[in-house]
Amino acid sequence: MLSGRQQVTGNINSFNSIINFITGIDAEGLQIMRWLSPLEPQQRHQDVRSDRLDGVGNWVLETTEFRKWSDTEDGLIEPVLFCCGDPGVGKTYLR
Amino acid sequence: MIDSLCDQAAGKDVAVVGLYCDFLAQHEQSTTNILGAILKQLVSRGGIPGYIREAFQKAKREFGGRGLRLPDMVEILKKTITSLERMYICIDALDELVPKHRRELLRSLKEIIRASSNMRVLLTGRPHIDDEIVECFDKAVRIPIVPIQDDIRSYLQMRIDVDTTPKAMDAELRADIMRIIPEKISEM
Repeated sequence: MLSGRQQVTGNINSFNSIINFITGIDAEGLQIMRWLSPLEPQQRHQDVRSDRLDGVGNWVLETTEFRKWSDTEDGLIEPVLFCCGDPGVGKTYLR
Repeated sequence: MIDSLCDQAAGKDVAVVGLYCDFLAQHEQSTTNILGAILKQLVSRGGIPGYIREAFQKAKREFGGRGLRLPDMVEILKKTITSLERMYICIDALDELVPKHRRELLRSLKEIIRASSNMRVLLTGRPHIDDEIVECFDKAVRIPIVPIQDDIRSYLQMRIDVDTTPKAMDAELRADIMRIIPEKISEM
Protein backbone atom coordinates (compact mmCIF):
# COMPACT_ATOMS: atom_id res chain seq x y z
CA MET A 1 0.00 0.00 0.00
CA LEU A 2 1.35 3.42 -0.88
CA SER A 3 1.28 6.12 1.74
CA GLY A 4 -1.02 9.06 1.08
CA ARG A 5 1.92 11.26 0.25
CA GLN A 6 3.40 8.78 -2.20
CA GLN A 7 0.02 8.36 -3.79
CA VAL A 8 -0.32 12.13 -4.27
CA THR A 9 3.20 12.44 -5.68
CA GLY A 10 2.46 9.57 -8.03
CA ASN A 11 -0.70 11.26 -9.22
CA ILE A 12 1.09 14.56 -9.75
CA ASN A 13 3.83 12.83 -11.73
CA SER A 14 1.40 11.05 -13.98
CA PHE A 15 -0.58 14.29 -14.37
CA ASN A 16 2.62 16.10 -15.40
CA SER A 17 3.48 13.41 -17.91
CA ILE A 18 -0.01 13.75 -19.41
CA ILE A 19 0.53 17.52 -19.72
CA ASN A 20 3.93 16.88 -21.31
CA PHE A 21 2.36 14.47 -23.72
CA ILE A 22 -0.34 16.97 -24.71
CA THR A 23 1.87 20.04 -25.03
CA GLY A 24 5.03 18.29 -26.21
CA ILE A 25 7.03 20.17 -23.59
CA ASP A 26 9.68 18.43 -21.49
CA ALA A 27 10.19 18.86 -17.73
CA GLU A 28 12.74 21.63 -18.21
CA GLY A 29 10.32 23.31 -20.61
CA LEU A 30 7.68 23.46 -17.89
CA GLN A 31 10.22 24.99 -15.50
CA ILE A 32 11.11 27.56 -18.17
CA MET A 33 7.46 28.45 -18.68
CA ARG A 34 7.06 29.11 -14.96
CA TRP A 35 10.30 31.05 -14.92
CA LEU A 36 9.19 33.31 -17.79
CA SER A 37 6.01 34.38 -16.00
CA PRO A 38 3.62 33.22 -13.28
CA LEU A 39 0.67 34.66 -15.24
CA GLU A 40 -1.70 32.26 -17.05
CA PRO A 41 -3.90 34.41 -19.33
CA GLN A 42 -5.38 31.39 -21.13
CA GLN A 43 -7.65 30.64 -18.17
CA ARG A 44 -9.32 34.05 -18.28
CA HIS A 45 -9.62 33.77 -22.05
CA GLN A 46 -11.56 30.50 -21.72
CA ASP A 47 -13.97 32.17 -19.28
CA VAL A 48 -14.53 35.12 -21.61
CA ARG A 49 -15.07 32.80 -24.57
CA SER A 50 -17.72 30.76 -22.82
CA ASP A 51 -19.62 33.84 -21.58
CA ARG A 52 -19.58 35.62 -24.90
CA LEU A 53 -22.69 35.80 -27.07
CA ASP A 54 -21.95 35.18 -30.75
CA GLY A 55 -22.46 38.15 -33.00
CA VAL A 56 -22.40 40.79 -30.28
CA GLY A 57 -19.72 43.40 -30.94
CA ASN A 58 -18.97 42.08 -34.42
CA TRP A 59 -19.55 45.54 -35.86
CA VAL A 60 -16.11 46.47 -34.53
CA LEU A 61 -14.48 43.83 -36.74
CA GLU A 62 -16.21 45.38 -39.74
CA THR A 63 -14.88 48.90 -39.14
CA THR A 64 -12.35 50.28 -41.61
CA GLU A 65 -10.02 51.02 -38.71
CA PHE A 66 -9.93 47.38 -37.56
CA ARG A 67 -9.66 45.96 -41.06
CA LYS A 68 -6.79 48.23 -42.00
CA TRP A 69 -5.02 47.47 -38.74
CA SER A 70 -5.29 43.71 -39.17
CA ASP A 71 -4.82 43.42 -42.94
CA THR A 72 -2.46 46.16 -44.14
CA GLU A 73 1.10 45.23 -45.07
CA ASP A 74 3.82 45.80 -42.51
CA GLY A 75 5.27 49.28 -42.38
CA LEU A 76 2.32 50.93 -44.10
CA ILE A 77 0.08 51.22 -41.07
CA GLU A 78 0.20 52.45 -37.49
CA PRO A 79 0.61 49.22 -35.52
CA VAL A 80 -1.32 50.33 -32.42
CA LEU A 81 -5.10 50.22 -32.20
CA PHE A 82 -6.93 51.44 -29.10
CA CYS A 83 -10.52 50.33 -28.44
CA CYS A 84 -11.67 52.76 -25.81
CA GLY A 85 -14.89 52.85 -23.89
CA ASP A 86 -16.45 53.27 -20.49
CA PRO A 87 -16.78 50.38 -18.03
CA GLY A 88 -19.31 47.76 -19.06
CA VAL A 89 -19.67 48.65 -22.75
CA GLY A 90 -18.29 45.25 -23.79
CA LYS A 91 -14.63 45.89 -24.65
CA THR A 92 -13.51 42.57 -23.18
CA TYR A 93 -16.16 40.61 -25.03
CA LEU A 94 -15.31 41.65 -28.58
CA ARG A 95 -14.80 38.51 -30.57
CA MET B 1 -10.70 39.90 -30.79
CA ILE B 2 -8.25 37.14 -30.04
CA ASP B 3 -10.52 34.49 -31.52
CA SER B 4 -11.28 36.45 -34.69
CA LEU B 5 -7.58 37.08 -35.27
CA CYS B 6 -6.85 33.39 -34.58
CA ASP B 7 -9.39 32.40 -37.23
CA GLN B 8 -7.72 34.74 -39.72
CA ALA B 9 -4.29 33.45 -38.77
CA ALA B 10 -5.12 29.76 -39.16
CA GLY B 11 -2.59 27.98 -41.36
CA LYS B 12 -0.18 30.92 -41.49
CA ASP B 13 2.90 31.59 -39.42
CA VAL B 14 1.04 34.23 -37.48
CA ALA B 15 0.92 34.34 -33.70
CA VAL B 16 -1.97 35.80 -31.73
CA VAL B 17 -1.36 36.32 -28.05
CA GLY B 18 -3.26 38.15 -25.36
CA LEU B 19 -3.48 39.23 -21.80
CA TYR B 20 -6.28 40.47 -19.55
CA CYS B 21 -5.23 43.10 -17.03
CA ASP B 22 -7.02 42.85 -13.73
CA PHE B 23 -6.82 45.33 -10.87
CA LEU B 24 -7.23 42.43 -8.43
CA ALA B 25 -4.00 40.92 -9.79
CA GLN B 26 -2.08 44.23 -9.86
CA HIS B 27 0.73 43.03 -7.61
CA GLU B 28 1.72 40.20 -9.95
CA GLN B 29 0.95 41.99 -13.23
CA SER B 30 4.31 43.70 -13.49
CA THR B 31 5.67 44.67 -16.89
CA THR B 32 8.16 41.82 -16.84
CA ASN B 33 5.49 39.27 -15.93
CA ILE B 34 3.15 40.57 -18.64
CA LEU B 35 5.82 40.43 -21.33
CA GLY B 36 6.85 37.03 -19.94
CA ALA B 37 3.28 35.78 -20.35
CA ILE B 38 3.30 36.99 -23.96
CA LEU B 39 6.60 35.23 -24.60
CA LYS B 40 5.24 32.09 -22.94
CA GLN B 41 2.33 32.00 -25.37
CA LEU B 42 4.70 32.47 -28.30
CA VAL B 43 7.02 29.64 -27.31
CA SER B 44 4.20 27.29 -26.36
CA ARG B 45 3.07 27.31 -29.99
CA GLY B 46 6.47 27.08 -31.65
CA GLY B 47 8.70 25.34 -29.08
CA ILE B 48 11.28 26.86 -26.77
CA PRO B 49 14.20 28.37 -28.72
CA GLY B 50 17.76 27.53 -27.66
CA TYR B 51 18.56 31.08 -26.53
CA ILE B 52 15.71 30.99 -23.98
CA ARG B 53 16.91 27.64 -22.62
CA GLU B 54 20.40 29.06 -22.34
CA ALA B 55 19.18 32.16 -20.50
CA PHE B 56 17.23 29.92 -18.11
CA GLN B 57 20.19 27.64 -17.42
CA LYS B 58 22.43 30.64 -16.88
CA ALA B 59 19.96 32.21 -14.41
CA LYS B 60 19.68 28.88 -12.59
CA ARG B 61 23.46 28.51 -12.28
CA GLU B 62 24.24 32.05 -11.30
CA PHE B 63 21.43 33.25 -9.11
CA GLY B 64 19.40 30.23 -8.16
CA GLY B 65 16.88 30.76 -10.95
CA ARG B 66 15.89 34.38 -10.48
CA GLY B 67 13.65 35.88 -13.14
CA LEU B 68 14.65 37.87 -16.20
CA ARG B 69 15.10 41.60 -15.94
CA LEU B 70 12.89 43.81 -18.08
CA PRO B 71 15.60 44.82 -20.63
CA ASP B 72 16.54 41.14 -21.14
CA MET B 73 12.89 40.17 -21.52
CA VAL B 74 12.43 42.89 -24.17
CA GLU B 75 15.49 41.65 -26.09
CA ILE B 76 14.33 38.02 -26.02
CA LEU B 77 10.85 39.03 -27.19
CA LYS B 78 12.27 41.01 -30.11
CA LYS B 79 14.34 38.02 -31.13
CA THR B 80 11.42 35.60 -30.91
CA ILE B 81 9.07 37.86 -32.88
CA THR B 82 11.56 38.10 -35.76
CA SER B 83 10.98 34.45 -36.63
CA LEU B 84 7.25 35.02 -37.25
CA GLU B 85 5.43 36.23 -40.31
CA ARG B 86 3.23 38.39 -38.13
CA MET B 87 2.29 38.77 -34.50
CA TYR B 88 -0.80 40.25 -32.89
CA ILE B 89 -0.77 41.20 -29.22
CA CYS B 90 -4.11 42.00 -27.55
CA ILE B 91 -4.02 43.58 -24.11
CA ASP B 92 -7.38 44.05 -22.44
CA ALA B 93 -8.23 46.62 -19.75
CA LEU B 94 -4.92 48.45 -19.75
CA ASP B 95 -6.46 50.94 -17.32
CA GLU B 96 -6.50 48.25 -14.61
CA LEU B 97 -2.72 48.17 -14.36
CA VAL B 98 -0.84 50.25 -11.80
CA PRO B 99 0.05 53.53 -13.63
CA LYS B 100 3.77 52.86 -13.20
CA HIS B 101 3.47 49.41 -14.83
CA ARG B 102 1.23 50.80 -17.58
CA ARG B 103 3.78 53.45 -18.59
CA GLU B 104 6.56 50.92 -18.46
CA LEU B 105 4.60 48.43 -20.55
CA LEU B 106 3.75 51.06 -23.20
CA ARG B 107 7.40 52.10 -23.41
CA SER B 108 8.53 48.50 -23.72
CA LEU B 109 5.96 47.83 -26.44
CA LYS B 110 7.20 50.90 -28.26
CA GLU B 111 10.73 49.58 -28.13
CA ILE B 112 9.68 46.15 -29.38
CA ILE B 113 7.58 47.64 -32.20
CA ARG B 114 10.52 49.74 -33.34
CA ALA B 115 12.45 46.53 -33.97
CA SER B 116 9.51 44.50 -35.29
CA SER B 117 7.47 45.85 -38.19
CA ASN B 118 5.53 42.55 -38.28
CA MET B 119 3.85 43.35 -34.99
CA ARG B 120 0.37 44.75 -34.28
CA VAL B 121 -0.88 45.79 -30.87
CA LEU B 122 -4.50 46.05 -29.84
CA LEU B 123 -5.24 47.76 -26.55
CA THR B 124 -8.55 48.16 -24.79
CA GLY B 125 -9.25 50.44 -21.86
CA ARG B 126 -11.19 53.35 -20.49
CA PRO B 127 -10.84 56.68 -22.30
CA HIS B 128 -8.83 58.32 -19.50
CA ILE B 129 -5.64 56.44 -20.45
CA ASP B 130 -5.75 57.93 -23.93
CA ASP B 131 -3.11 60.57 -23.10
CA GLU B 132 -0.66 57.94 -21.91
CA ILE B 133 -1.13 55.94 -25.10
CA VAL B 134 -0.70 59.00 -27.31
CA GLU B 135 2.46 59.88 -25.41
CA CYS B 136 4.06 56.66 -26.70
CA PHE B 137 2.12 56.19 -29.95
CA ASP B 138 1.06 59.56 -31.32
CA LYS B 139 -0.55 58.01 -34.40
CA ALA B 140 -2.46 55.25 -32.56
CA VAL B 141 -5.83 54.59 -34.18
CA ARG B 142 -8.84 54.81 -31.90
CA ILE B 143 -12.15 52.95 -32.10
CA PRO B 144 -14.70 54.20 -29.55
CA ILE B 145 -16.68 51.21 -28.24
CA VAL B 146 -20.32 51.96 -27.57
CA PRO B 147 -23.15 49.52 -26.94
CA ILE B 148 -25.37 49.30 -30.01
CA GLN B 149 -29.10 48.57 -29.78
CA ASP B 150 -29.01 45.40 -31.89
CA ASP B 151 -26.37 43.87 -29.63
CA ILE B 152 -28.31 44.73 -26.49
CA ARG B 153 -31.47 43.24 -27.98
CA SER B 154 -29.80 39.95 -28.87
CA TYR B 155 -28.25 39.76 -25.39
CA LEU B 156 -31.62 40.44 -23.71
CA GLN B 157 -33.29 37.85 -25.92
CA MET B 158 -30.72 35.27 -24.88
CA ARG B 159 -31.20 36.07 -21.19
CA ILE B 160 -34.99 35.85 -21.53
CA ASP B 161 -34.63 32.51 -23.35
CA VAL B 162 -32.61 31.01 -20.51
CA ASP B 163 -34.75 32.53 -17.74
CA THR B 164 -35.48 29.88 -15.13
CA THR B 165 -38.88 31.33 -14.17
CA PRO B 166 -40.37 32.32 -17.53
CA LYS B 167 -43.92 32.32 -16.14
CA ALA B 168 -43.09 35.31 -13.93
CA MET B 169 -43.03 37.41 -17.10
CA ASP B 170 -46.02 38.10 -19.35
CA ALA B 171 -45.85 39.17 -23.00
CA GLU B 172 -46.27 42.83 -22.11
CA LEU B 173 -43.40 42.88 -19.62
CA ARG B 174 -41.24 41.03 -22.11
CA ALA B 175 -42.02 43.62 -24.79
CA ASP B 176 -41.25 46.46 -22.36
CA ILE B 177 -37.89 44.92 -21.47
CA MET B 178 -36.97 44.53 -25.11
CA ARG B 179 -37.95 48.11 -25.92
CA ILE B 180 -36.98 50.18 -22.87
CA ILE B 181 -33.58 48.73 -21.90
CA PRO B 182 -31.95 49.19 -25.35
CA GLU B 183 -33.35 52.75 -25.52
CA LYS B 184 -32.06 53.70 -22.08
CA ILE B 185 -28.63 52.22 -22.65
CA SER B 186 -28.08 54.03 -25.92
CA GLU B 187 -29.06 57.31 -24.24
CA MET B 188 -26.28 56.86 -21.68
